[in-house]
Amino acid sequence: MDIYLPIAGMSINFFIILGAGGLVGFLSGLFGVGGGFLLTPLLMMVGIPPAVAAASDSNQIVAGASSGAFAHWRLGNVDFKMGLVILIGGIAGGTVGVQVVKYLRAMGNFEFVMKVVYVLMLGLVGGAMFIESWRTIRRSKRGDAAAGEEMGGAKLGQIFQKLPLKMHFQRSGLHTTAIFPFSIGAIVGFMAALLGVGGGFIMVPAMIYIIGMPTIAAIGTDLFQIVLTSANVTLQQAFVNKTVDLLLALILLFGSTIGAQFGAIAGRRLKGEQIRILLAIIVLILAVKIFFDLILTPSDLVSLAPAKGGGH
Amino acid sequence: MKRLLALLLVLWVAGFGPGAAHALTPEAQQKVVTAASKNLVEIGLSYHGDEIHFFGVSPVRDCDLIIRLTAEKSEEVKLSVKGRVGPFWMSVKQYDVTDAPFMYKIHSTKPIEQIVSPETAQELELGYVAVQKKMKLHLARGEAAPDDPAKVFKGLVKIKEDANLYNIIADPKRLEITEGRLFKHYFRFPPAATEGRYVVESFAFKEGQLLGYGKDVIQIKKVGLEHWLTEMSQNQPVFFGIMAVLIALGAGLLVGMIFKKGGHH
Repeated sequence: MDIYLPIAGMSINFFIILGAGGLVGFLSGLFGVGGGFLLTPLLMMVGIPPAVAAASDSNQIVAGASSGAFAHWRLGNVDFKMGLVILIGGIAGGTVGVQVVKYLRAMGNFEFVMKVVYVLMLGLVGGAMFIESWRTIRRSKRGDAAAGEEMGGAKLGQIFQKLPLKMHFQRSGLHTTAIFPFSIGAIVGFMAALLGVGGGFIMVPAMIYIIGMPTIAAIGTDLFQIVLTSANVTLQQAFVNKTVDLLLALILLFGSTIGAQFGAIAGRRLKGEQIRILLAIIVLILAVKIFFDLILTPSDLVSLAPAKGGGH
Repeated sequence: MKRLLALLLVLWVAGFGPGAAHALTPEAQQKVVTAASKNLVEIGLSYHGDEIHFFGVSPVRDCDLIIRLTAEKSEEVKLSVKGRVGPFWMSVKQYDVTDAPFMYKIHSTKPIEQIVSPETAQELELGYVAVQKKMKLHLARGEAAPDDPAKVFKGLVKIKEDANLYNIIADPKRLEITEGRLFKHYFRFPPAATEGRYVVESFAFKEGQLLGYGKDVIQIKKVGLEHWLTEMSQNQPVFFGIMAVLIALGAGLLVGMIFKKGGHH
């Protein structure tokens, strides 16, 4: 069953798009990430122009993330206060990041350095998370009681304890200064702008290990802030580039909203460390994929230039 | 008398005849009478390209035919070129290509270089060589290299051919001629051939001279929902953007609520 996409200007099988949306929605609901890292390349692979893929994808993420956030909110996993503080930090960091990118790009070729940095960072985050969750799983198998459910940056948290602007984050069970999540949001937002990819994959581990939120609350809260950031990106894309293909986005979101519900249900059945190890594996796969993209000879040396911005 | 005729013929062949004028004006030639199976293609929800059949009568017997399909609109294509940076493959430069046709297809009875001289091919813009000469490259990022124009053009042709927007077929089976003068063939318009006017031109040659010319115009346009969505997104971007976000939010929450209802086991 083929359907013609008006803005992409092409005809494509309805079920391919539906399936892609469903898969990404499932991951989104389970891990609290937007899934743009996966969906945009997937759409480009089936021939959708890069600019349209990125823009329609962010439109779709609004739906997938709001469906997932809603499911998590019902389960009591969304810390709205924390989400907003991180979001404000993210916007600040992203704005600075965009300016820095302009400056660096004018200086010459910096993109490949950034990609290498990205691979290293994903590799480190994925590797560390994998080892940590693997140990937790083995410890709980041996029956070592519930020794330190969430660990990681507790020391960093203590330093921030001494700073002003104290806030109580009820859902996360934290009483700390607002500067702390704000800076995390700013750093991730800055890196996301610099690397041209969304921050979900860095943000969730940062919330778990540095801020010290429970895994499931980190996921719910991240989904909540993704709804707002992806809505912003969609509006920008629609105003400036006019590349949002609503028909494409509608089919994708039909698949992804349903997928997100199953993702959230699956998340409830798994333990925190089980989700973390799965997320670690995906982060590592992503790192390996980007690494091979960098070193393998591409089949076509000349290609349509990708669009800037978008994706989470 | 016979000698006089022979002399006239020699003079004609030597360059005083109709085909030798310095500027070739296809419209001034005898008419190749053509007809298309349809002149309007409507893009609806289930559109997946179209095939249009063309029929024609050449003004002279046993001539060589070249039929060219192009789009009236032109577009700017941004192409990135990958290169090695240390052990890595990165996009190292970007070219903005202008004056390359959006769509370019040719059917001919023989390879173009066997029908016309390179000069004529260039003047009438027949064949990839002529397209390449007309195309303009503007380096947007990175450093230029001498072999870039050829490399970029090859890359562009591959992208266009993959989308079935460019191709050149020299095959008498695809462009059938019966009884010396009647011919028929078809062009496939892929889904990637977007809204706009397309021109199909038939050139009749004999011994390298242009003797006949015909032209058909095909219009492709979006209708119904496809038309509405395109119009809104291009002309009312603010309304369209807000609508897109609200629909997405609404759909997300709606599905969430449906699952809530059905979720109590």
